[in-house]
This record gives sequence, structure tokens and C-alpha cells, in this order.
Amino acid sequence: MSRLPVADRGTVRRALRDMISRHRRAVGFVLVLHSAAAVAGLAPPWLLGTIVDRVTAGAGVATVDRLALAIAGCVLVSALLSRYAQYAGHRFGERAVAELREEFVSRTLGLPVSVVERAGSGDLATRSSVDVATVGTTVRDVVPTIVIATVQLTLLFGAVFLLHPLLGLAGLAGLPSIVAVTRWYLRRASSAYLTEGAAAAELTETLTTTAEGARTVEALRLTDDRIQHGTTRITRVWRARRATLALRTVFFSVVEASYPLPVAMVLLVGGFLLSRDMLSLGAVVAAALYLQQAIDPLDRLLQWTEQAQRGFASYARVLGVGLVPPEPPGTTASSRGERLVVCGARFSYSDGPDVLHGIDLEVQPGERLAIVGPSGAGKSTLARLLAGIDAPRHGVVSIGGCPVTDLDPAERRRRIALVTQEHHVFIGSVRDNLSFAAPDASDDQMRAALVTVGADWYAELPEGLDTALGDGARQLGAAEAQQLALARLVLADPHTLILDEATAALDPSTARRTERALAAVLVGRTVIAIAHRLNTAHDADRVAVLADGRITEIGSHDELVAAGGAYAALWRSWHTPADEHRR
Amino acid sequence: MRYLWWLARRQPWRVLRGSLLGTAWMVGLSVRPYLIARAVDDGLRARDTRALALWIAAIVVAGVGLSYLGIMRHRTMTFLREDAKARSAEVLLRHLSRVGAVLPRRVGAGEVSTIGGSDIDWTAQVLTLTGPGVGAVVAYGVIAVVLWSISPMLALCVLLGVPVVGLVVGPLLRRLERVESAYRRQQGALTARSGDIVAGLRVLAGVGGRDLFARRYATRSQQLRAEGYRVGAVNSWIDAAIVAIPGLFLAAVVWLTARMAVTGDVSIGELVAVYGYVATLIVPVWFLLEGSYQLIRGRVAARRITDLLTVTPDDVGGPGRRWPAYVPEAGLPASVPLARRPGDLTAPDGPADLHDPLTGLTVRAGLLTGVAADDPAAAVALADRLGRYVASEATWGGVPLSGIALDEVRARILVADHDSYLFAGTLRDILRAGADDDDERIDAALRTASAQDIVDALPGGLDTPVDARARTLSGGQRQRIRLARALRTEPEVLILVDPTSAVDAHTEARVAERLRAARAGRTTVVIAASPLLLGRADLVAHLSAGRITATGSHTDLLEGDPGYRHLVARGSEDPDIAQPTDTEEAYR
Repeated sequence: MSRLPVADRGTVRRALRDMISRHRRAVGFVLVLHSAAAVAGLAPPWLLGTIVDRVTAGAGVATVDRLALAIAGCVLVSALLSRYAQYAGHRFGERAVAELREEFVSRTLGLPVSVVERAGSGDLATRSSVDVATVGTTVRDVVPTIVIATVQLTLLFGAVFLLHPLLGLAGLAGLPSIVAVTRWYLRRASSAYLTEGAAAAELTETLTTTAEGARTVEALRLTDDRIQHGTTRITRVWRARRATLALRTVFFSVVEASYPLPVAMVLLVGGFLLSRDMLSLGAVVAAALYLQQAIDPLDRLLQWTEQAQRGFASYARVLGVGLVPPEPPGTTASSRGERLVVCGARFSYSDGPDVLHGIDLEVQPGERLAIVGPSGAGKSTLARLLAGIDAPRHGVVSIGGCPVTDLDPAERRRRIALVTQEHHVFIGSVRDNLSFAAPDASDDQMRAALVTVGADWYAELPEGLDTALGDGARQLGAAEAQQLALARLVLADPHTLILDEATAALDPSTARRTERALAAVLVGRTVIAIAHRLNTAHDADRVAVLADGRITEIGSHDELVAAGGAYAALWRSWHTPADEHRR
Repeated sequence: MRYLWWLARRQPWRVLRGSLLGTAWMVGLSVRPYLIARAVDDGLRARDTRALALWIAAIVVAGVGLSYLGIMRHRTMTFLREDAKARSAEVLLRHLSRVGAVLPRRVGAGEVSTIGGSDIDWTAQVLTLTGPGVGAVVAYGVIAVVLWSISPMLALCVLLGVPVVGLVVGPLLRRLERVESAYRRQQGALTARSGDIVAGLRVLAGVGGRDLFARRYATRSQQLRAEGYRVGAVNSWIDAAIVAIPGLFLAAVVWLTARMAVTGDVSIGELVAVYGYVATLIVPVWFLLEGSYQLIRGRVAARRITDLLTVTPDDVGGPGRRWPAYVPEAGLPASVPLARRPGDLTAPDGPADLHDPLTGLTVRAGLLTGVAADDPAAAVALADRLGRYVASEATWGGVPLSGIALDEVRARILVADHDSYLFAGTLRDILRAGADDDDERIDAALRTASAQDIVDALPGGLDTPVDARARTLSGGQRQRIRLARALRTEPEVLILVDPTSAVDAHTEARVAERLRAARAGRTTVVIAASPLLLGRADLVAHLSAGRITATGSHTDLLEGDPGYRHLVARGSEDPDIAQPTDTEEAYR
């Protein structure tokens, strides 16, 4: 399996720069407002310092009243400014996140299916859920927090420098140890927290699946096995949490022990300067309070840095999806005719050995061809070539004289539909689940399509076509879901249908119902059915037997039975009592 | 509540250590303002270099001490919570593993996932109260005493004022959380949409409609953005209030103290200290507010856990199984020791006939019996009766099945149903089905189920990890793995429900032949409609309209029972695929 790409650091930085420059004005506005709010927030300690000075100098109650009122005023102004700063920042975050996720989804929709399949859909699913969400929180919550904290810190330290440059330098004491331990922590934190999260998710999954499979646990007497399995998961979570705790223990004890250092140094240097009368007592007090006040933003900054780092990593994975070249648009808009021809087609999955060794096949419009053969013979691969999902390594698959992979993808899908045993019910109404196959279809046509495939459950839906399906709404059973998929086909009206064991994953009674529905869809179309039931083969116009990537027999059912080959032997064992095998 | 109490009682030393450290840490928080005040008063103002150096040294030492207390408190509380989480997880795990078939009927899988994912955490979170909770109360008291020594009037204002500020800001925070969580829900729904698109990508590739989905997603994304703007407008006001209210209170206290400083009632250093005390008092008050909220949520979460733990297994109308429910002191049911009770009937010692009076089916010991059913649901019900998943009159060697200890029934009779669950793990884990690792027997089972090619095609062979439900495998592959697993357990009686319905005819023919050889001499029931399987059975029974209507060899039944012939050879007589149905013509 080849994984989906991940963007490198340079690409991520460029993307970030682009994002900021796209929203240049908003970003600038937010920064200015936050700075103003932080300046207003700096005033109270300074005013307190002034109070200290004035009172020491013997000022009266009136001065104190005035200064106290000024403190209250600064608090209000700061709150007001930070409100608007936050709101503007929030809007910027929302806009940026919306852009990002829409871009991601449209990129995802443009991915060639073969790429997704080779990478495994799990990877893409994680990116669409975990990574997009992580980037979302980072942009919306983490970045603002970090911006505010940085602005506040800059101003606080700036203020101390303004009081006296030497005080400012003293205030920087404690920073070296914090920087060193933070670097140490950040190098280890992300992977440790990811391990912890994965371990916790695994434990939850173990509990959930044990509940889901409770009957199987009882039938196969898996109780002890499940307990043992779960206990190792619990141990793993415990160990992962201990590992992160160990990291935090080092990190926070160093950081917290460093917090009082700036205050202590400022008092020390302040005492020295004060003894030389180089500055006032109030200035020293204010500087000490500023640095005490700096602990809070510093703490926030440090706590969120790890999150920001994780957001950066997620962003790289989100951007990675955009690095896959999208499905190429076809070179031909349409083709004449519906005759499907395979000529000398060979195929291998990513440099592996050939799965198909030179297939020659011709399917006439309106013909029904059944493909049978043992598992692993290459039946599904052939179906994918016919549907144009993969291109043959050698040889050509063409429809109406035009290679299927040259057709515009949308056009190709409209003409050739591949139905597999996978079915998927999209979140949304019944209408949403049907309309994408034929955007112009009327409600009546949709209802008629449902009737055609025998979806009698439709009549019981409370809100008809508007009934919500999936996640938390009405859940469809496997047969119902497959019928819905077939109704889509009726609406899409392709001239060629490729059925790859469309009913194999269903239980037999459901399969029977679905096959009946399927029959209604097949009428008047070219049908290529990969079949595991021989009765399907019997009913087809022609049967192709595929073995080890080659067509070994082809002809009508009667011809093949008369020829006395492998198919005939299989048919006999299926259709007549197997006397020769009985004792 | 009893459950929470039980969790705390399991680790008394940690609780004690946590509350001591929590108290020391919280009290320690107010030490720095005091030390700074002394440094200002005794050192700077008095221009006493020695005193200044002393107090500064004290600040540094106190800082190190505080960081030590803080981290030890955090470690103790983390261990306390993790212990509670692990304990809850273990009790749940053991319970879920034992309840058995009744569970899915009583509890949804989503509920278990919520309990496992968040309720365990919420419950454990309550234990935080034992540490910082106690500490907060003590710290509050200590600061009260110190303030009282400065000025009783000031002390009253601060001690009453801070909780009032907390009570005003608290609900605002809750509201913030509510607004946020509504937004997050909507955000979650949007994430589900993009996950939905990823999951359905192949369908979209097969039928088309990508543009439509991109547009639909964009519309919803824009709606969420608009909602986000609204949330931001409200929340930024709340946020501002949360900062402004304590700030204004602080201003008031400074004003009050400064006036007292003017009159000489308090010293300058004390003025600075009061400023610091008010700021530090926020921490314990905050903890208490947060703690009460956690207690409410934790109780609800603990209730959900105990509800799940009190689901009892279904003994399906007879003597059950060993059922040790634990921890009665946590409010969970006491254990019912149970091996073989006096009233239990004795199961047959060796192979014996199974009989189901409802349908009239008799399964002969040691033979391969095929059952062809007109109605698949009736076949499933029959398997449930023979395996005692429902109460019935079925007998085993003449003994009523429901009179035998369920443990013994489960150990000797295996019903392998069509959708039996595949747990996540390596293929070997799945196939060994709880028994010891034995590749030889696994290989034999794989061969019988004609499933070796599945293992061979996987990169890591038997060691390849597979998701829960084995979603990465195809329907036919999953079915063969299930069959191999059932065969691997080598039960005395094996009842297979549609074991090869998703398998191609070539493979099915092979499985039918090998199954017969592998189960030679042992009781096996195959419920299926496939002539390939039924043709290999010693005896075939035709189940029609709830009764066994004919019994004999496959050949006999083909010749003598037209209903049976129609059922198993439906391909050649049922014109399903060959001709259009009436509805189709109506639609055209």
C-alpha cells in the first residue's frame, strides 16, 4: 500500500503565509486591537506602583481615589478592546477554517479512486476527521491564545525595559531554563500524546466491539480471551499515560521553578538601583508585579505550544491530499456506440506480477455476459478495467472504439456503472441519496425507481423522500441499502452495467430479494456479471470462465456444458446429485 | 454515588497524599505575594540589603518548593484518576465479556462507546475533589486568617467578594460552554459529512455526483461559518466580562486598601500583598466551583456505568453459568456461585441425537445433516433452538436441552451464524478463537474452509492485523474466515448457518468436499440451500412451512420432493434474471 503524501515543512509554511496574506487586513486589525487591549491591561500594576509612590510621598485620599478610578477605567477599556479583538480574530479563524475544509473536501472528491484504494481509505478517513478537526481547533482556538499571550508577553517585558533597561535584562532571567526544557519537551510530547490518544481509542474500541460481538463471545466462549485482550489494552493506556506524565513532570517542575526567578532578579537589581537612587520604589514594585503578571500568559503559551505543533503536523497531512494529482479529465467527450472491446489487456497492481495475462473479449450492446472462475482468478480486476477505474498496463479496453480511460470521468460514469457488494448510504434524506445519480430527476421518477427495485419499505417512511437516513436517523439494513443503490442506477440509466458479486455480502434471503430487484434494473442494458452462483451464468447469453488471469472458456452455457471442460464439470456437480462423490 | 465512593476507597493512601499535597500547594500559592511584600517593606523601603537578599532567596526557594508541591500534587492526582479509570475499564471489560448474547438486545453499541469513551473519564474526574478540593477549602481559610491580621474589614470584603465574583462568572462560563458545545455538535456533524464522503468515494466514482457533493458540503460549511460568527459575537462578550468582572473587583480592593494605606492602617508592603492575595484566592474558589460541576456530571456518568454493570445475562430458561459479579460494596449485584446445581440435568456423556419437536427435526449423532429451508428466518430460529439461544423443548440424547447447565451446552454445541462477529486483531488471533496458538490446526481449518488463499494474499500472512468486522476483506473472504474459525474450535456438535452463501461455485464445491472429510464421524448440521453442500450431506431434511416435510438423501429428495427440487435448483427454474418483471415494464 502506498500512503497518501504528506506536505513537507516548506510547503506548509508557504501555505500558512498564503493564508495570512489572503487575510492580511483582518490579521493586522486583530494584532493592533490585541496590542491595544494588552497595553490597557498593563496599566493597573503601573498605577499601583504610582499609588505606592504617591502614598509614600504622603499624597492624600483624593489622589488615591483618582488613581483607583483610573485602574477601573483601564480594566474596562482593556476588556472592551479585547472583546473586539477576539471577535475579529474569531471571524478570521472561521473564514480560514471554512476555506481549508472546503478545499480539502473538493480535493478529496477529485482524487482518483485507485489512489485512495491503494492508500487504504482509513488514512483518508483519519485526515478528513482527525486532521481537519485538529487544524480547525488550532486556527480557531490555539492560534488566538498564542497570539494574545505573545502580545501580552512582549508588552509586559517591554514595559519592564521601559521602566529601566537593567530591570528588563533582570526580567529575562529564568528564560534560558524555560526555553531549554520546552525544546526538550516539544521534541517528545507530540508522539507521546498521540500514543496516549491511540491507546485510549483502542481501549474504547475493545469495550465497544466486545459489546457488539457479545453473542459471538458467548458462542465461542471468548470471555477469557476478551478479558485478556482488554487487560493488555488497559495496561497499554496506563503505560502511555505514565509516559506523558513523566514528560510533564520534568517540564512543569522546571518551568514552575523558573517562574519566580525574574521576580527575584528584578527585586535584586531593583534594590541595587534603588540604593543608587537610579529609580523609584514604585518602579521596582511595578516591574515585580508585571513579571508576576507575565507568568499567566507564559504558562498559557507553553501549554498551547504542543497543541500548535500538533496542528502544524495535521496541516501537513491535510495539505498532502492536495499533492495527489487529481483524476485527469478525459480527452474525449463522448464515444459512438456501446460495443465494449478488450484487446490483449494485461494488468498488475503496482509493479507486482501480472494479474491478467492478455485478455481478449468483445461484448455486444444488450448482451449478458457472465464471468465465472475461482477466487483470485482476476475477475474483479477485469471488472475494474471494464469500468475504466484502472487502465491496463498493456493492451486496450475501449467502448465504441474509444479507450474507456480517455472518456471524461463524469461521462464514463454516466454510461458504465460498476456495482460492487459495497454499498454506502450517505447521510441525508432519501432524496439526497438518489438525486446525485440523476440531478434532473423529478420526485415521481425517484419514487418510481424505488418501486422498480422492490423497495417496498419506502411506503413506510414517515416523511417519504425527505426522511433522513444514516447516522442517528433511520438506519437501512443491508438489503435496503443495496436496493437504494440499485434505484440510483435506475435513475442514472447507464447503458452498460458491471456487477461484481453485487449480492455476495448479503445473507441468502436478503440476496434473493435483492437479486429480484436487480433483475428489474438490468432490462435493456449490456450486463457483465461476475457471478458466484451458477444460475446467474446459466441465464446469461454467454459465459466466460476466468482462471489464473486468462479466459479459458467462453461461449453460451449450452456450448460450454457440451464442450465438457471445467465449467461443465462444475455445472454437473451443482445441478445434478453428486453421486460420484457419495460413498 | 456508592460507585464513586468505592473508587475512592480502593486507594486511601493516594487520596490522603493528594489532599495533603493539594492543601500545601494551594496555601503555597499565597506565599509568594507575602514574600514579595516583605521584600518590598523590609528590604527595598528600609534599604536593608541583607534583608532584601534574604527575602529574595526565600522567593527563589519557595518557588522551587512550590513547583515541587505542584508537580507532586499533579502526579498523585493523575495516578488517582488513572487508577479509577483503569478500575472502571476493567470492571466494565469483565462484565461485557461475560454478559453474552443478551447484551446487544439491552444496550446499544453507541452507548457502550460513550461510557467507555467519556463516562469513565468523567467519573474519575470527580476524584480530583479529594485533593485540590480539600486544599481549596484550607487555602481559603489560611488566606482569610492572614487578611484578618491585616484588616478585618478588608478581609470581609475580599472573603465575601471573591466567591460572589466566582458565582457571577461561573454561570457565564457554563453558558460559554453550552454555546460552544452546540457549535461543536454542528461541527461534528460537518466532520461526519466529510467522513461520509470519504466512505462513499467509491460509490461516487461508480455512479457520479462528485460536484453535487462538493457543493452540498460547501453550503453546510458556510452555514457553520455563519454560526461560528454568531457564536463568536456572543462568546467574545462573555469572555470580556469574565476578565472584566474580577478586574473591577481587584480595582475596588486596591482602592479600599490604598485609602487605608493613606491613613496608615496598612503598610505599603501589605497593600502590595493584598493585591497578590486577591489574585491567588481566585484559584481555590475556582477549584470549588469547578469541583461542584464535576460532581454533578460525574454522578450522572457513574449512574450510567452502574446501569450497564447491572445488566444480567439471560440463562434462557434453565440453569445458567458461573456468574461472579464483583464488588457488591460498589453497589453492584453480588455473585451467584454456580457450577452444576442439584436440580440440573446431566448432559449425555458422548455423541447423542439432537431433536427439535417444533419442526420434528432429528439430528443424528456423528452424521452430516443438511437442512434446506424455504424460509431462511425459520432456519435461523431452528439453529437458535438447537444451540439454546432461545428457550425451547429441544432435547439432546433425550434430555431437555434447557435443563442442562448452559456452560456445558456452549462448550459442546457451537452455532456458527452467518454474521458472527470478527474482532480486531491478527488473523491468527481471530482463528485461534481463544484457544492456544496452534498453527497446524489453524492451517487445517483454513484448508477445509478453502481460505488459505486469503492468508497467502495478505502481506503478513497470519500475522496481518485486521479491523473489527474485518472490513478490509470481501464478503466471501469474511465468510470463509468465519467458517475456518468455527471449524478450528472442533466442537462436538457444529451447526453451520449458510456457511458458503457468498462464495463462488468453484470454491463452494471444494469446501463442501473438505467439510465432509474434516467433520467425519462428528455431528454437523449445515443449513443451506446450495446443492453443492446438500449433495455432500449424509441426510437432508426439507424444512417447509415450519415443519420437516421430507428427509432422505439429496438425490432422494430431488426425485421425490418437488418443493425441494424447486428450492435447491432455483437457478434453472426461477426466471429471476432472465426476464423483466411486471413492475419494470410498468416503469418503462
